[in-house]
Amino acid sequence: MKMRDGSFIEMLELFRTLISADNKFIKEWKRRNKPVLGYACSYTPEEIIYAAGILPIRVLGGLEPPKLADIYLPVNVCSFAKSCLNKALKEEYNVLDGYAVSNSCDNQNKIYDLWRHCTTIHKTYFINTPHSVTEKTLEFFCEEFERFRQWLTDSFEAKISEEDLKVAIEIFNENRRLLKQVYELRRRDPPLVSGSDALEIVLSSMMIPKDEHNELLHALLGEVENREDLIKGGVRLLVSGSVMDASELLRLIEGVGGCVVADDLCSGSRYFWNLVKENGEPVRAIAERYLHKVPCPFMYSSEERFNHVKEMVKFFDVEGVLIFSLKSCDVHSFDAPLLAEELRGKEGLPVLCLEWEHSLSGIAQLRTRIEAFVEMLGE
Amino acid sequence: MSERRLETLKGFYHNYVKSFYEMAHKAREEGKLVAWVASTFPVEILLAMDIIPVWPENYASLCAARRVSVPLCELAERKGFSKDICSYARCVLGSLFDEENLPEGGIPRPDVLVASTCACDTHLKWFQVASRFFKKPLLLLDVPYNIESTNPENLEDHYIQHYVYQLEDLVSLLEKHSGIKLDEGKLRKTLELSDRAGELWLRVQDYRKNVPAPMGAREAFSAVYFILCIPGTEQAVKFYEVLCGELEQRVKHGVGVAENETYRLVWDNLPLWFNLKIFQYLRGLGAVVVAETFSHVWAGSLDPSKPYESLARKYLSNMSNCSIERRIELIAGLVRNFRANGVILPTNWGCRMMTIGETIVKRRIQEMTGVSSLILDVDSTDWRNYDEYRVKTKLETYLRTLK
Repeated sequence: MKMRDGSFIEMLELFRTLISADNKFIKEWKRRNKPVLGYACSYTPEEIIYAAGILPIRVLGGLEPPKLADIYLPVNVCSFAKSCLNKALKEEYNVLDGYAVSNSCDNQNKIYDLWRHCTTIHKTYFINTPHSVTEKTLEFFCEEFERFRQWLTDSFEAKISEEDLKVAIEIFNENRRLLKQVYELRRRDPPLVSGSDALEIVLSSMMIPKDEHNELLHALLGEVENREDLIKGGVRLLVSGSVMDASELLRLIEGVGGCVVADDLCSGSRYFWNLVKENGEPVRAIAERYLHKVPCPFMYSSEERFNHVKEMVKFFDVEGVLIFSLKSCDVHSFDAPLLAEELRGKEGLPVLCLEWEHSLSGIAQLRTRIEAFVEMLGE
Repeated sequence: MSERRLETLKGFYHNYVKSFYEMAHKAREEGKLVAWVASTFPVEILLAMDIIPVWPENYASLCAARRVSVPLCELAERKGFSKDICSYARCVLGSLFDEENLPEGGIPRPDVLVASTCACDTHLKWFQVASRFFKKPLLLLDVPYNIESTNPENLEDHYIQHYVYQLEDLVSLLEKHSGIKLDEGKLRKTLELSDRAGELWLRVQDYRKNVPAPMGAREAFSAVYFILCIPGTEQAVKFYEVLCGELEQRVKHGVGVAENETYRLVWDNLPLWFNLKIFQYLRGLGAVVVAETFSHVWAGSLDPSKPYESLARKYLSNMSNCSIERRIELIAGLVRNFRANGVILPTNWGCRMMTIGETIVKRRIQEMTGVSSLILDVDSTDWRNYDEYRVKTKLETYLRTLK
């Protein structure tokens, strides 16, 4: 095996270090006295925040046990949302000047009450995201976004012109196109970028200004063509689930002979797969994009997400699917057996359903099951 | 300790619940339309259209009371549904795979399923699964979350308007699927009855402010059936009228539901459907449940001259569609108005909506009223993790701390 190409590896390493609320870009942003807004869900219209001169960053959790959040929350609660709250309680999100939530699931909505009551973050906002796609829900969503825009304007003394919005849309769309190019590198066999690297690249895009991220992606994509070797092939897998805010689980899969070539994660493909229309009235175009994007399972139509998974399976030449349900995530847990049945029955694909804890407790058991699945497929 | 059963509630299950299922099964055979409906959906619409509303939630509680819910939950788990999801949902999904051993012959099959986003994610997801199973459409009333906990009178026009639009769209879809046109006169009549039933139901609650309280939780969790499931009917109004009459007499003669009433409790969330005897046990310790949040969230005033708008106001301000302030206000109000000296906050394992934030509720209630609360880790329907000894010890210890 040849040596890894130095600068490419360095770039991957850089992306990894950016997945943190105290990365150098955020520090630089704050140094210029500009506000940072944390958001909880991939349905938050980042373009509007960015157009206001505010840096939107995704609130992520950590792997440590959520001791402080455990004081307020019982065990039967989404461990990701709990972990995020824990970080806020530990004041690891002091960088945030505000926090925005979308109406997406009970865990998120109800834990938002605790953000308001128990943390030091006082500027908070809730966007009433519809759960279905019709003309009326689109109108309502547009109105919600206009209100959000007004709130940003009032709370942060910001100005958001139509032109600002258009520029933001272009920058965000470029980021989405570039991320898609990164994903396409995984169509090859063996892929040019591993699943864990790709996840880290997407996660990092949520944590720094998108224009800066675009530059990094251009550089990465420029380097990648010089990369000739390195990734071990293996059984080509798709990983489906909610949010993964760290690559440990994917590394585990890759460590036992799996090759994660595609995903259906809200912190993966579902985050960037769809573009905003660049002609037309900006807020409306943004609302259309978020309403029509590959849906998370809190939305009315599960079929559309299932279709997305099936398209990914074909596009990335997938041999098996791992469905991860975060414990106490109702919306994914209800979908898991349906998606499994759909893939097994209609597509004839091997599927493994797994429940997991965000803190990765019980990981040994997960490893055993994944290893057995990968071995079975490898035969 | 003997229970002083209310005459009105004698034979309740047989007379009202069982007979409803018999009627629904029979009506279905005769070609009437049946809809599965989830709570917070404005059932008045279905009643006005002569579509039979059947309630999977009610069925799950019934299965728990009959002690068959756990085997049904296990059936759903074997089909891949997580043990951590709502036990109501697991129980009912399990019942789809058991044709034989179901109380009341199971839930009548639906022609259509309706749910609203006002209560929880589970309603949508659970009904999606059932909709795929039965190959029948699920119509979702997709409406906003009341993040400011605004009360019905002060809800924003933006929200009300959207609710009304959504309901209009839903009704036209329902008309298309059912072939039945919603008659405005009938809707007005149904709303009148629902409004009247709600008023009477709240009067039933008012009687319980008296010391000693004339009615306890066991009776309330049965009698709430009408306001929850079939509010816009003559039957509901009539039942509550009779119940009010009996309670009036009890209050007049100073007859309480318990012989000895030392503690007055507010009960949040759901009861242990599989062990309603816990209320009897509490009475034995001199503790009477005088108010349940569950009894106070389903009634709401309706204006028949503005049917859609008043349904919007009623359901958007339902506690389950609101941020935590509404729940805190409601419980604090119950503590004050019902002269309660304790609050029981039972969790429900698969219910994020009611479980998250209980610590804040407990803290705020203490601050606002000086009354302490007991958080009880239980599930309403799935008894596999239930430890009777532990629960009783907790209750007993808690009662001893109350003034």
